[in-house]
Amino acid sequence: MGIQEQYRKEAAELLSSGAVKLVIGYGEGTTADRRRPVFIRSAEYVGRLVLDANCVANLSAYLVQEGLLSDGKKVAAFLKPEGIRSMNILAAEAQLDPEQVVILGFDIEAGQATSLSGRNASDFTALIGSLKASGLSPELQKEADRLEHMGSADRFEYWKAQFSKCIKCYACRQVCPMCYCRRCIVDVNQPQWINTSSHTLGNFEWNIIRAFHLAGRCVACGGCDRSCPVNIPLRLINHRMAKEALDTFGHFAGESADQKPVLATFRQDDPETFIL
Amino acid sequence: MSESFEPKIVAFVCTYCTYAGADLAGTSRMKYASNVRIVRLPCTGRISPMFILKALQKGADGVLVSGCHPGDCHFAQGNYHARRRWTVFRALLAFTGIPEERIKFSWISAAEGAKFTELINGITGQIRALGPFEQYQELQTVIETQSTY
Amino acid sequence: MAKIGVFVCHCGENIASMVDTSKLVHAIGEHPGVTVASEYKYFCSDPGQETVKKAIRENGLTGVVVAACSPRMHEQTFRKACAEAGLNPYMLELANIREQCSWVHTDKDEATGKAIEITRSLVEKVKRNNDLKPISVPVTRRAMVIGGGVAGIQAALDIAAAGREVVLVEREPSIGGHMAQLSETFPTLDCSQCILTPRMVEAVQHPNITVMTYSEVEEVDGYIGNFTVKVRRKARYVRMETCTGCGDCIQKCPVKKIPSNFECGLGNRKAIYTPFAQAVPNVPVIDREHCLYFKTGKCKICEKSCQIDSIDFDQQDRIETIEVGAIVVATGFQVQDTAMYGEYGYGRYKDVVTGLHFERLASASGPTSGKILRPSDGKEPETVVFIQCAGSRDASKGMKYCSKICCMYTAKHAMLYAHKVHHGKSQIFYMDIRAAGKGYDEFTRRAIEEDEAGYIRGRVSKVFEENGKLIVRGADTLLGRPVEVVADMVVLATAMVPQSDAKDFAKRIGIGYDEYGFYNEAHLKLRPVETATAGIYLCGACQSPKDIPDSVAQASAAAAKVLGLFSKEQLEREPVIASVTDATCAGCWGCVIACPYNAIDRKDITDRNGNVVKRVASVNPGLCQGCGTCVTFCRSNSIDLAGFTEKQIFAEVMAL
Repeated sequence: MGIQEQYRKEAAELLSSGAVKLVIGYGEGTTADRRRPVFIRSAEYVGRLVLDANCVANLSAYLVQEGLLSDGKKVAAFLKPEGIRSMNILAAEAQLDPEQVVILGFDIEAGQATSLSGRNASDFTALIGSLKASGLSPELQKEADRLEHMGSADRFEYWKAQFSKCIKCYACRQVCPMCYCRRCIVDVNQPQWINTSSHTLGNFEWNIIRAFHLAGRCVACGGCDRSCPVNIPLRLINHRMAKEALDTFGHFAGESADQKPVLATFRQDDPETFIL
Repeated sequence: MSESFEPKIVAFVCTYCTYAGADLAGTSRMKYASNVRIVRLPCTGRISPMFILKALQKGADGVLVSGCHPGDCHFAQGNYHARRRWTVFRALLAFTGIPEERIKFSWISAAEGAKFTELINGITGQIRALGPFEQYQELQTVIETQSTY
Repeated sequence: MAKIGVFVCHCGENIASMVDTSKLVHAIGEHPGVTVASEYKYFCSDPGQETVKKAIRENGLTGVVVAACSPRMHEQTFRKACAEAGLNPYMLELANIREQCSWVHTDKDEATGKAIEITRSLVEKVKRNNDLKPISVPVTRRAMVIGGGVAGIQAALDIAAAGREVVLVEREPSIGGHMAQLSETFPTLDCSQCILTPRMVEAVQHPNITVMTYSEVEEVDGYIGNFTVKVRRKARYVRMETCTGCGDCIQKCPVKKIPSNFECGLGNRKAIYTPFAQAVPNVPVIDREHCLYFKTGKCKICEKSCQIDSIDFDQQDRIETIEVGAIVVATGFQVQDTAMYGEYGYGRYKDVVTGLHFERLASASGPTSGKILRPSDGKEPETVVFIQCAGSRDASKGMKYCSKICCMYTAKHAMLYAHKVHHGKSQIFYMDIRAAGKGYDEFTRRAIEEDEAGYIRGRVSKVFEENGKLIVRGADTLLGRPVEVVADMVVLATAMVPQSDAKDFAKRIGIGYDEYGFYNEAHLKLRPVETATAGIYLCGACQSPKDIPDSVAQASAAAAKVLGLFSKEQLEREPVIASVTDATCAGCWGCVIACPYNAIDRKDITDRNGNVVKRVASVNPGLCQGCGTCVTFCRSNSIDLAGFTEKQIFAEVMAL
């Protein structure tokens, strides 16, 4: 039995036994290689679930839909390792109770969807720990290295060019599981910290502050990057933040469901070589 | 860069240590460059990264963020929290091409009037040498032209 | 519509000589929203303040900026002036054009330009200031002291002497703490019991002090001025109200051979017991674990022997809830378990003892009635080796700190030994002699010069038994050679360590502790008896190793803090505190974690039917100290800090 059949069967069992009220998974998209989220409430529809190497979106964002978990009932979700990590962060930030989520874990290796064993967030601790070593894809890493080696004026020009394309559509925010705020900082107009019209200064501010808010929280699912209609390489900037959190504070986002936020905690001996 | 360029430097400081240190420099009649404008906050913990961005928007060529030495925070832990944020925010600014030389962080106690004086003179000199932060200020002019439609 | 008054002070020549004040007045007078701009030689003087007040009244000013000296100098002065003129005192900002402008610059044009900018940005800030009122918190003027050792007793007596009620909670059956176990005390060699017992009696008899022995604090809720403490009153099985302390029950109890904690196991006690003869209160407790009746259901000899029917086998633990306004933590220390020093043979050889054992041996009320007799065979030891720093200053064992009292008590032990065993020989292995304190160095010199204590500078590597003697092998680092001393008894000057449950207890009451478990003071130098939690104070060895004089001094200091708090019925606090916007708070609790004062709680938001719809952060104004760390953390900008709001700072920066 292929993984897709196996998971359909499992989803059907979870639904028909009443163990979960909803399965959040992937279905056919508008083109052959696109997948879109489907929300299955009855076992008879599990045939709509698709699981293959095109299932890239991080579905954990749907877990925090207002009211979804407030009845205390369980929900199952197809999650890749980074989805499990972001779910852990959502749990650590009190946005959901991990007990309410049955994880249908999978990964994509060599163009194939493969199953992950375990159904609870805590079953994946070892797997998540092993991901610390993994970095960017070779081609993105090359781009990151190129940027690191630029002078700051060139780097500024690079990002200025990138951010000048931003149309402030907020697709990055919409797709991000970490952007669950009821009111985003960019929507605060008393005072208007971030200029909202899509000129480059405001775009700079928006993208910088978003990256800052994701520091120690981004799990590199790539959702923002893929959803950006003007192809700003947001993954690079978020990866830089993740690297800082890991290298300097040993913080790997979403390691556990009770991880403390990296910017709400400290150690007295945190490094401070840059402080005069 | 013209000879007469005088940088604008905005300093965000906590009231208990660095602000008091700056006062001490005054009562001791030490002399330092007049380029710095001080914004007083209760604690470094209150200093948001947004403040730095707004200072840059308003034409600051350099920014200083300063507070109590570790262990001396009036609020016990505010500066430890601040230090983490600075570490991360500084890396972020550097990655987006805002030079580290323009955004400085320091610990200055209420007793360190001399350190404050030296630091302000040092930073002013360095930023004077770097020249105006035209790259960022150009973003600002874009606003002005764009918003006049 | 803002009507701002700007008052530019010359400060004599201090400002006016470097800042062109007229130019400043003119420039700022043009600024939108500025209704009045004037200058004067000394605005802090009476006529100067009158000018400000008059301008406020006549122009109906909504905000005031005084461009003068540092706010650290005259903010209070001008706040008062504003209030007297009917303007909220928080509608004031001081533009610091003296300390941070005229005094530090040498070019008048530059200084003037800077003064204009500083003043302008504060005009923009003050436009966005809000009326604030000092926060009043009612204060329950009753204190709780946790721990009935010498520090706790002292704190309780001092608070009670000032006419305030105190509840003194002690978990042992008697107050007295470790001091009651000591024989004589350095540097005066007065008997510990003789100076302590009268204070114990005073405490228990004081009309303002309620002593709760055999009781433990379970939970602390609330905040400064308003704590609710749950205390577990453990069942004594003896009625406190009627027991006369005659001791008949103890005499008759058939369960005899229970090692006494108070005697460090050198003596025994019964199953119904008082820890020591001078116990306060002198009411025994039944030790359930050893009592025959509790074990077998038969006995009750104590009940039969009691002439006033004070034994009550049916007593249960009960929880008492007490409201207090301040808490003094005086939970003390314990002696380090020396098992980690296997090389010193503690636990293996009966005659290797700790300093506290030695105190009991030397104590006239101890198991040997004050004779120094070694535990193994009851003989008088001819040679005693004392090993200092047995557990202190040893990074390899994770104990980096100095226990502070051991140098002194070891010198005392050597003296007591010399006084009691005239032909005895004492040898003391030491790292340094730390005898800083009034009369302390004189005391150690006396031990060396008059009582012939033999000090050997160096560490001991091993203690072992040979032919019925203890061989102490170590190094004499001054002579640079190994030494071996044949001893009859070895006394380890064991470290003072936090109580084994110190960290758990700290978490329960909400105070911080260091890597060892000693409790953290709010500021090591300036606030040494306060904790970071307002209203909770520290004294004695729970904060760090301390001797009796230091513990008592700190206890009185803590009492002074409590009395300061109790001096008013209402506690007035600066209104610079944070508050949460419920509508936008996402409930991520980052602020709750970041807050250094545990001042942020979780609050339920309910619909009209009382169903919880969401939970948001909520700042306790009694606890918030106004640092603003939470504001910076909050991603959705849902917390703000009064006096330094986002709007105010934004305006201030944007006007630069």
